[in-house]
Amino acid sequence: MPRYAMVIDLQRCVGCGACSIACRSENNVPDGIYWSNKITETVGKFPHVRYHYIPTLCNHCQYAPCVRGCPTKAMHKLDTGITMHDPKKCIGCKYCEFNCPYGVIYFNWETPHRFWRDEKPVIPGGTASPKELSEKVGGKVIPYYNPDREETSAGIRPKGVVEKCTFCDHRVRKGQLPYCVEACPANARIFGDISNPSSDVSVLLGKHRPFRLREQLGTEPHVFYIREYNPARYKATKGGV
Amino acid sequence: MKKPKKKHEPLLENTPFHRMLSRRSFIKGSAIGGIAVAAGSGLSLNLSALAQTTSAGKSEQGQWIPSTCQGCTSWCSKQVYVQNGRAVKVRGNPRSKVNGSASCPRAHLSLQQVYDPDRIKTPMKRTNPKKGRHEDPKFIPITWDEALNIIADKIMALRAKDESHKYMLMRGRYTYMRDIIYDHMTKIIGSPNNISHSAICAEAEKFGPYYTEGYWDYRQYDVLNTKYILIWGADPLSANRQVSYYTSVWGDVVGKATVAVVEPRLSATASKADEWLPIKPGHDGALAAAIAHTLLTKGLWNKEFVGDFKDGVNRFIAGQEVSESDLQENHTYGLVRWWNLELKHKTPDWASKKTGLPADQIQRIAVGFGQAAPHAISWVGGGPVMQVRGAYTSMICHALNGLTGACDNLGGTLVSNKEYTKHFPEAEEFYDEIAKKGKKFPKIDHRGRKDFPCINAGKPGSAVVTNRAADGILNSDPYDIKVAIAYMNNFAFSCTQPERWERALSKIPFLVHITTNASEFSWFSDILLPNTHHLFEKWGWVKSIGNGYRHVTLMQPVIKPMWESKIDETEIPWLIAEKLARRGFDNLLRYFKTIKDPETGKAPANEKEFALYCVKYTTQNLWDPAKYEGGDSFKSWQEFRRAGVWNSAPYPYRKRWSEMKTKTKKFEFYSETLKAALEEHAKNHTTTVDDVLAVSGYQARGEKAFIPHYEEPSILGDEKDYPFIFVDHKSRLNREGRSANCTWYHEFKDVDPGDEHWDDVAKINPIDAEKLNLKNGDQIRLTSPTGTLECRAKLWEGVRPGTVAKCYGQGHWVYGRVASKVFGKTPRGGNNNDVIPAVYDRLSGSTVRHAATRVKIEKL
Repeated sequence: MPRYAMVIDLQRCVGCGACSIACRSENNVPDGIYWSNKITETVGKFPHVRYHYIPTLCNHCQYAPCVRGCPTKAMHKLDTGITMHDPKKCIGCKYCEFNCPYGVIYFNWETPHRFWRDEKPVIPGGTASPKELSEKVGGKVIPYYNPDREETSAGIRPKGVVEKCTFCDHRVRKGQLPYCVEACPANARIFGDISNPSSDVSVLLGKHRPFRLREQLGTEPHVFYIREYNPARYKATKGGV
Repeated sequence: MKKPKKKHEPLLENTPFHRMLSRRSFIKGSAIGGIAVAAGSGLSLNLSALAQTTSAGKSEQGQWIPSTCQGCTSWCSKQVYVQNGRAVKVRGNPRSKVNGSASCPRAHLSLQQVYDPDRIKTPMKRTNPKKGRHEDPKFIPITWDEALNIIADKIMALRAKDESHKYMLMRGRYTYMRDIIYDHMTKIIGSPNNISHSAICAEAEKFGPYYTEGYWDYRQYDVLNTKYILIWGADPLSANRQVSYYTSVWGDVVGKATVAVVEPRLSATASKADEWLPIKPGHDGALAAAIAHTLLTKGLWNKEFVGDFKDGVNRFIAGQEVSESDLQENHTYGLVRWWNLELKHKTPDWASKKTGLPADQIQRIAVGFGQAAPHAISWVGGGPVMQVRGAYTSMICHALNGLTGACDNLGGTLVSNKEYTKHFPEAEEFYDEIAKKGKKFPKIDHRGRKDFPCINAGKPGSAVVTNRAADGILNSDPYDIKVAIAYMNNFAFSCTQPERWERALSKIPFLVHITTNASEFSWFSDILLPNTHHLFEKWGWVKSIGNGYRHVTLMQPVIKPMWESKIDETEIPWLIAEKLARRGFDNLLRYFKTIKDPETGKAPANEKEFALYCVKYTTQNLWDPAKYEGGDSFKSWQEFRRAGVWNSAPYPYRKRWSEMKTKTKKFEFYSETLKAALEEHAKNHTTTVDDVLAVSGYQARGEKAFIPHYEEPSILGDEKDYPFIFVDHKSRLNREGRSANCTWYHEFKDVDPGDEHWDDVAKINPIDAEKLNLKNGDQIRLTSPTGTLECRAKLWEGVRPGTVAKCYGQGHWVYGRVASKVFGKTPRGGNNNDVIPAVYDRLSGSTVRHAATRVKIEKL
């Protein structure tokens, strides 16, 4: 049984956000909810300034606080280490959201994709309403709805439940990479079985000293970061007093 | 669109990295705690197999069909995941050697464009005869037949009165099917006025390469083989060109090469660079001069390409003239004259005062750059050149590639590979007497006048001055425009000082707009025709270069076009031609029927066949084995269609050395090519080159006119009244100003360094903000001498004090429910063009976007 993990190579990452937008497309994620996200920071004072970007997503922790706190086992671990959520069991108590130290779990406060349920056109007779358009093309709420997502969970999660990244379990089970990995134009995401010492992720983790987010909490995240977003050269110096 | 309740995760927002990132005990943690569990059922996966399953079509419910993205001018080959006739996902076409499977973020937004509810469904006509920003056109739907009849009647009426020259075609984003509607249709109707958008994009960028190495086009950069990349106002990780390709290799590039970025704002590329040079806007030429000066004085020029002093002794000493006879040049021309006329005094100390950059940084970059030669690229983007006098900056920045020998070299700056598409048949025999007469009138955009030399590729008066056409129309200079058709453009939004366009378009008695959305331009139109979306619904092809290859990539309808949309460049001209033929003028239709299916020899019988045959006809040499000339080979049209892309042969390095298309065949530091062009233009107006330059706003006189040199910027507005220089930049999510109606654009707008999601911000250095008592999120107004915009303040260290940087793309007041705050009335955010004056780099015809104006900032 594989134990899935992701390595994010920050030197390859260009901070473009293609992972996050592709994730919206693959998982039918509503606006306002970010299964895939980022932390950005601008450091320094002009002119010695750089901007840094760290992509974030569910860490699929070994000791997942979201799972421990879930009263209904809606949030659970798969054998592959994926932290999975079952919206059918979810009672919307949001314990998982509060327990998650990474802020990657989102609650559906409203009927998702409200934009696409609107029935008003901007030019009556000349343009469509979002609802009319989506129905015309045969989408499901959203016109570019991806039915592949339904294979393991709700295609669109209803109001009143939480949702988050599943490492694209519906793809991984078919031997496909998570969509953010496939869609990353920079090849900055490397996915695989960390229990296999010769997998690409294991090889990379043996070669570079990785870090994880908030390791001190002991959650054992399975998203690892290697290298620097900006590996800028500089002239050797001892500084000065 | 409602602003999402949740802004990021509260735990992560504004949290410095070090709090989130602990490097403690990784090894221990993962090895012991991390792996354990995992027994029992489930899938056992071989990881190396997994890595190869990226295109596992059979386990997905839909299929991937190739097409092409024109969200920017990278023009990447794509595949669209289509499920039951619906487009669901987009990715890079792995068959392309230019972009491969890499796909930048903006490509995904195309799904929200094709399925934009605010696309127009049917032809519409205006029922409110009054035109103006505040006049609701009161569009009502009409049939295609009615729309086409009205259009044909208007064209016939013009021709009946011998006024065919008063017809105008405005082109925006195009494919190489453009010649049908843009060139042949306009000429057969009988007008000289086919006006493209090209000059609002980046023509000045082509000026430098042309007048040094005889190449009027965008370059490709051999980044994986280079050691130093010096980037001038280009942001390849965000915008134009080959964003997907450069993104795919940049992690390796920054590991191998030193990257230095010259730009007043910390761009996406600057954020990953070794050196950021936040230059005072408009002084790039001074920096380039100092780098050239340093390369020469330190003897760091590439001797193989440039040559050397006959006795090997470097005579380039600051302040001293050199004798031309002492230097033996190889593949270059005029180095000593360049030194004597321009470079000899241009020291890093001198440039430091002009540019606001430290002299030691200039020195360090020049030396590092020179030491890396010939694998040292000077990469010229729009920033320093889309400026008044930008033509000469384009020359001097690009000329550095001549000094390092990067031109046409491994790890250098490369031109286009050969491709073998063909043109449409000649149309001359279809010009009737009216057309022949009409075509001879001067164009509405004033190109070629004494003060608008516009010398595209050595030919005076040949470059379009897109933005000037508004003034031509407004002043009926040289005559009035009576009937105009425009497609995939939005000059009332995308041109600087767009208010002129609002008035100009209002003045045209009959205006047709072929568009996906009712845009700012549409607001002043009489007829709207629903256009297809290029990536999903259109037949066409484009060509593009990158990664040492050229590809020709096909766009084809991968879904049924939405509503009643038709293809702008082929189907609609055909339908108009049919209507004209029924009115007794069949020349256009007869011409179109000469474009036959190369497979069957059949002439097109309807608009759909015409659209397809146009593509097959022009690409025949790529897919027909009998016509094979090079690059990828195919057995048939069907096979080419399934692949979606043709790739050229790999780049032949150094083939152009001493074979350049300049007057001397050399890389010209003293441009005989420009000299000939300027002298020809002066002769056309029976005057001198000095006079031409004076009336066109340049500082150079005498011999200096023919060499790459620094000219002081010409920035509108007094520093006292307008303290800040306005810095315009592009977004990695912009699809040429057309993506602001996509919610994903706003959801992810903060992928542009310094920007915020669901907001439109002007980035201001905290030092300046403090003086103005501004804080983050304050609503502000930017005012230039020519206009104003409203947006919010963002305090950010990534902008040079004294400048204010703002991303282009928002500020639509129509276009759709998301793009505008109130459709037809209130913009969401501010349009940069509203503060930028309509000024030009008149040698190239380019519209100026950078170092164009100063602004003042007021808190609202």
